[in-house]
Amino acid sequence: MDKILRIDVGAEGGPKATAAPAGTYAGLGGRALTSAIVSGEVPPLCHPLGEENKLVIAPGLLSGTAGAQSGRISVGGKSPLTGGIKEANSGGQPSQVLAKLGYNAIVLEGKPTSDDLYKVFINKDGVKITQDNSLRMLPNYDLIEKMKKEYGDKICCISIGPAGEMKMASATVAFTDMELRPTRHAGRGGLGAVMGSKNIKVIVLDSTGMPVRPPKDPQKFQDANKRFVEGLKKHPVTGQGLPAFGTNVLTNILNEVGGYPTYNFKQGRFDGAAKISGETMAETETKRGGRATHGCHSGCVIQCSGTYNDKDGHFLTKQPEYETVWAHGGNCGISDMDKIAMMDFLDDNYGVDTIELGATIAVAMDAGLAKFGDADAAIQMIHEVGKGTPLGRILGSGAAVTGKVFGVERVPVVKGQAMPAYDPRAVQGIGVTYATSPMGADHTAGYAVAQNVLKVGGDVNALRPEGQVELSRNLQIATAAIDSTGMCLFIAFAVLDQPETFQAFLDMLNAFYGLELTGDGVTELGKKVLTMERDFNARAGFTPQHDRLPSYFKTEKFAPHNVTFDVTDGDLDKVFTW
Amino acid sequence: MALSSDRPDGIEPYYRLAFVMDGPCIQHFALLLQQGVTISSRIGCSIGTFLREELGATAGTIEKIQSIILDGKPVDDIESAIVKDGSVLALSAAMPGLVGATLRRGGSYSSFRSAITYHETGEKYSSGEGFVCIKLFNLLMAELGPEILQKGVIISSAGLLSFTAEQFPDFWQQCRQITLDNRLINGPELQDNIQPQGNKFIFLSVSSG
Repeated sequence: MDKILRIDVGAEGGPKATAAPAGTYAGLGGRALTSAIVSGEVPPLCHPLGEENKLVIAPGLLSGTAGAQSGRISVGGKSPLTGGIKEANSGGQPSQVLAKLGYNAIVLEGKPTSDDLYKVFINKDGVKITQDNSLRMLPNYDLIEKMKKEYGDKICCISIGPAGEMKMASATVAFTDMELRPTRHAGRGGLGAVMGSKNIKVIVLDSTGMPVRPPKDPQKFQDANKRFVEGLKKHPVTGQGLPAFGTNVLTNILNEVGGYPTYNFKQGRFDGAAKISGETMAETETKRGGRATHGCHSGCVIQCSGTYNDKDGHFLTKQPEYETVWAHGGNCGISDMDKIAMMDFLDDNYGVDTIELGATIAVAMDAGLAKFGDADAAIQMIHEVGKGTPLGRILGSGAAVTGKVFGVERVPVVKGQAMPAYDPRAVQGIGVTYATSPMGADHTAGYAVAQNVLKVGGDVNALRPEGQVELSRNLQIATAAIDSTGMCLFIAFAVLDQPETFQAFLDMLNAFYGLELTGDGVTELGKKVLTMERDFNARAGFTPQHDRLPSYFKTEKFAPHNVTFDVTDGDLDKVFTW
Repeated sequence: MALSSDRPDGIEPYYRLAFVMDGPCIQHFALLLQQGVTISSRIGCSIGTFLREELGATAGTIEKIQSIILDGKPVDDIESAIVKDGSVLALSAAMPGLVGATLRRGGSYSSFRSAITYHETGEKYSSGEGFVCIKLFNLLMAELGPEILQKGVIISSAGLLSFTAEQFPDFWQQCRQITLDNRLINGPELQDNIQPQGNKFIFLSVSSG
């Protein structure tokens, strides 16, 4: 993994691919690499859909190895949704395969000279780019079936659906899973629209004949990986809770504490929560012959995904994530799990972000376009997006645009991106991260990577008023570093509680690359990534005033606890002072 | 269904309903346990005492209970928070994500949810016997659910009928015996004998044969 593949979509005669050594980008992976290329090569004031923007797809540092949990992939660019820098992260097979093929990254750049649509095929023999207008407006599932017929079933794909082709600001980049289904998405920030603006419909990868990437010290790597896996398996979250119930296991507890945003963030409890909980979903999946425990990429030992079948036992969609079930469920007042699963499938098929579209539909319901709880109306709205009707174009542009068009004040966005499934009035610390992350409101920007292990910025007294700001800072630094390794963020739980598992993780990196990386090194990497990202945003015109929650979070009391967001602007401005 | 408000107000007439199931049965009652079941129990004691003495939780189980929500508020110290008459007590194993970590009792990120954390006010509460609504989530359904169901729980008539209406056919196939006020009945008869609009509560017990 020592070269970057650049595809100039504006080259004379059609897109041209050039592979070159990684150069100054060597040693970077995942988010660190996408953000380095975007901040270094993309003019911050450019139009996100224009010639100067780039779409960067980068596997993690340990992708393509035998290391567990190493198959996450980062997609970066200037976001059409936020106008700032964006890294969106996904599972699926392409990270492992792209790394085995030897690429640190694929960069799509330039401006197409025609409306023609292209597919890219990459294998051990090189890169082939072919014009194929028959793919136009194909939904992701149909597209992948077509690719399977053409290239066989040993491939994996990176693609966009109709939403990406229509350059909608909530469009995703899809990644196929182990069953060659387009169920994994770099969802946030509308990067599918950037891929659409380059007229690249699909990138097909085939690593047949390519070996697993060899570590510098195979014995040490094997030993560290073994300890790492043991740590994941013995931890109650990664070894029991997530495999049994998936991320949707959070529904019940968020609802119980009154932090589950319901009816477009109006209240913190939803009466139908237990009917759409991870526990109920897992039970339904098992009874219908689906799977409640499954990985999203090879090398996953946590297995937090699954398959959701319909009432007749036929595959409907992958196991929907907590954020999806919330966005299309409680936030829209919907408690019919089958309908929510259908919405998850439609989102994947059209290629739209489940969080953004769910939040958008709730805003539309607040505007009176449909009643809260009307699942059929919500499904119809997703079809409008997929068809690109005038209403669909508005909805596909995200919650902020939809709120403006329909005159809704209660629009839960930061930097134009919809908030995920945790209300920042009940859990104020996450509000600090929503407000200040360079990515816009993002629940994964400050994850549970242990400040008490990494001691980013020293020990924190969480009980002091400023503790939430310090913790958010430390979490964002640690998360940026983990995102750069290509490791699944869910390793954070085991790392949080088990210092020996964090050490095993470091040992894997060191044994693979022959490094002497320590916890301090991880911290420095995280700071470097965040500094690049914030610098890009500042040059794009972002100011401290963009690091704020919508004002109604400070004034509207949130039931049942009747709390408001009360972290001061001054404290928010201290998050990135290190 | 059996929400916190579905507790008997004083002494009400009960139906006494008993299921004897073939084999492990907890999966059938998972929805009921998530939504909450009311038990008659000791009140005015700490959560720690309640878990040990009323729910029969071992030290290992208590260690597994990483998030405890009392009346909608996350609890940090189980020995100081008091279970009162009418309390709703929800129990969860360790949860994923930042917010999952935030909701752990006494966790590193507890300050993130300080606005909703449970604190005792110092007010005096009555002790003795009362009613407490228990909600069991995730891994704890299998850990604590069977014993709670075997001892018996109180749910509303409407809640019971809603529960039975949503069961898959395998539930009824696994029912070895159903008795209502000590009379043997079958599934359809159960629906016929319980009126959803009535104010009677159900004392439901479940055992595995």
